[in-house]
Amino acid sequence: MTDSSSPLRGGAPLMRVENLVKTYHLGRIDVPVLRGVSLAIHTGEFVAILGASGSGKSTLLHLLGGLDRPDRPLQGTIEYDGRALHEMSSGELDKYRNQDVGFVFQFYHLLPELTVVENVLLGPMIRYGRLGYMARAGSLRKDAEELLNTVGLGHRLRHRPAELSGGERQRVAIARALINKPRLLLADEPTGNLDHVTGGKILDMLMEIRRQRHQTMVVVTHDEETAKRADRVIRLMDGRVVQG
Amino acid sequence: MYQALLTRRYLFSKIMPLLAAVAVMLCTTMVLVTWSVMGGFLNMLIGTGRTLTGDVTVMWPTTGFRHYEDLIKRLEADPLVAAAAPMIETPGMINLPGGRTEWIMVRGIDGPSFARVTEYADILWWKPLDKPLPKDKLKLDERLHTTMLGKGWEDVFENGLHLKRPNPETGVDEAAAVLGIEVTKFNKREIGGFYTPYKPLIRTPDGKIRNEMIFMPANGRVTINVLPTDPTGKGVETATAVLPVANEFQSGLYEADNKTVFVRLDVLQRMLRMQPYTSAEPPPLSGEETFATGEQAEALQVPGRVTHVLVKGKGAESDASELKKRVQQVYAEFEATHRGQVPPDPEIRTWREQNAMFIGAVEKETALVMFLFCMISAVAVVLILAIFWSMVAEKTKDIGILRAMGASKLGVAWVWIRYGLVIGVVGGLLGGLTAFLIVHNINPIHEWMGRALDIQIWDPRVYYFTTIPNKIDPTHAAIVVIGFILASGVGAVVPATRAALLHPVRALRFE
Repeated sequence: MTDSSSPLRGGAPLMRVENLVKTYHLGRIDVPVLRGVSLAIHTGEFVAILGASGSGKSTLLHLLGGLDRPDRPLQGTIEYDGRALHEMSSGELDKYRNQDVGFVFQFYHLLPELTVVENVLLGPMIRYGRLGYMARAGSLRKDAEELLNTVGLGHRLRHRPAELSGGERQRVAIARALINKPRLLLADEPTGNLDHVTGGKILDMLMEIRRQRHQTMVVVTHDEETAKRADRVIRLMDGRVVQG
Repeated sequence: MYQALLTRRYLFSKIMPLLAAVAVMLCTTMVLVTWSVMGGFLNMLIGTGRTLTGDVTVMWPTTGFRHYEDLIKRLEADPLVAAAAPMIETPGMINLPGGRTEWIMVRGIDGPSFARVTEYADILWWKPLDKPLPKDKLKLDERLHTTMLGKGWEDVFENGLHLKRPNPETGVDEAAAVLGIEVTKFNKREIGGFYTPYKPLIRTPDGKIRNEMIFMPANGRVTINVLPTDPTGKGVETATAVLPVANEFQSGLYEADNKTVFVRLDVLQRMLRMQPYTSAEPPPLSGEETFATGEQAEALQVPGRVTHVLVKGKGAESDASELKKRVQQVYAEFEATHRGQVPPDPEIRTWREQNAMFIGAVEKETALVMFLFCMISAVAVVLILAIFWSMVAEKTKDIGILRAMGASKLGVAWVWIRYGLVIGVVGGLLGGLTAFLIVHNINPIHEWMGRALDIQIWDPRVYYFTTIPNKIDPTHAAIVVIGFILASGVGAVVPATRAALLHPVRALRFE
């Protein structure tokens, strides 16, 4: 079943998925996760992908973010800004994830040995390489500090993740996801590991960022309350879109 | 850029990589110390071999050969030759004060010419010193002061050079011997590296035991016994000479310092019946001598004989082979002139060939030990592999994060390879420094072990030298350090490849 309703439709979608199939092979056992998913995401949309645990929502997010590939022989297509993601080389996908996508994970996934600001600057370090980064170090550092100020952590630049609360870590992860100004922000259960109040604040922050930057966001969640705040909800069940 | 940052942080955030660096350090130290000591031993052996023999030797042992003065003259006329000197070498026995008797090698030399070909003047021990030895902090070396006789050391040095000593009663110079400094055991080697005569217990002729200081160049005398042979090599009656001691020498080669005695060439010639003579006064049992041609010796003006002619070249040590060829050519011309009176085919060898067996054995031993230690050092590579393997497992999520942020597989692999190289650099440099400190101070360390722990590892009777080699060759150090840096990188390659090939999604989900 496909998702066809979108209040922000107008022009070509930023992302288009057609009949996407993904199966995990665990030894001799094949576990089908996505069974022909089709959807479209437009620029500036906030799309929530809602489903129970095991419905395939995280797998779909990973495929959208270029972290994984559809099954071979090719089963389904993913297009980003007119480019076939499923046909990109490994290097092109690396670049896509670095420059076009920002990930926010449920468990933050910050590097524990790096400070807050260093975690945020990882994306540009990967993007520009040594010489390029050093040539831009001043301005990149400034961008990182501004982002961290925006998320309320301007005073914690030199702290390590272990010294932060869950909510603070997630805010660092959001800043890290946005440093390279990606067109697409993908969040996998961003509030799943936080208490209700903190989770609400994180969601408010995401909404504010979305408003300020006209950021396209896809948030995977099992929480109906979170999904309600999206422009559009795509409901997944057993690897299929059951409701747009 | 992020690789450098992560390498720095990983290096100091965990104990395991520091242990890997320690392993590299220890292996580097082990290999470099071994190479320096054994390689240094080999270099000392090679270098010292020339100290007492020159570059090339012409030898006809036991019976010797005549007309050596002509041979020396021809050699010294050659552009490749710096100097040549005659020598006789024969086994003998020495009777020392106190009644002790030792087997020795007696060498008959002409002091000044021997000094031109070898480092004889430098190895004479009792001579004036301008400044103390480096370890003689208290300036206790006797050579810095006047002699026990209240005089300067210049006379003692000159006596040694010319193998003479004035008779204390008549003042006339007598032929004298120069002993290896370890021959008598009357000299005690001090921590400062110098010798002092010490006080042995001496049995007097009337059977009593007396304790007195003996300084051989002052008033010591030794009895030397040698066995002359006839031209067929058959021994004849033992020849004995009681000689005053002019000086003592220290070559650094224990075997020589312990077993060699120099006497004046003419003295040994007479003892061995090898001196020049005329038909009116032939030496006993030296009547008719024949060589291959069966020719009779001339009855008049029979030249003296020596067993060796030592040759020093003008070129570098590596030119010895070229010098040998030239000496062979000169000898061929010499033999043609004196056909029938000189050996047609004597042994002509470079200093290296003379000691080939021993040098070869040491070279092989060095190579074998180095090979074994390098094999053992493979442990360091495996250790790094094992540590990094477990670190990659521990950092699986980090790898997933980096890949999610767009890091390439090669970039992720480089994090670990770089990490391995850094551990190699840290361990290698520390190892090189540790090796330098150990090798540079190896002799004081050994001396301390002997004093404090009664452990003597380096026995000069076994290793031929009184001091352990204490220099590190910079090229060797560079090879070892760079080798271990690269080995550390190699050890990290497999874990790095594993990290690079981790699937990002599985890495992120890793528990």
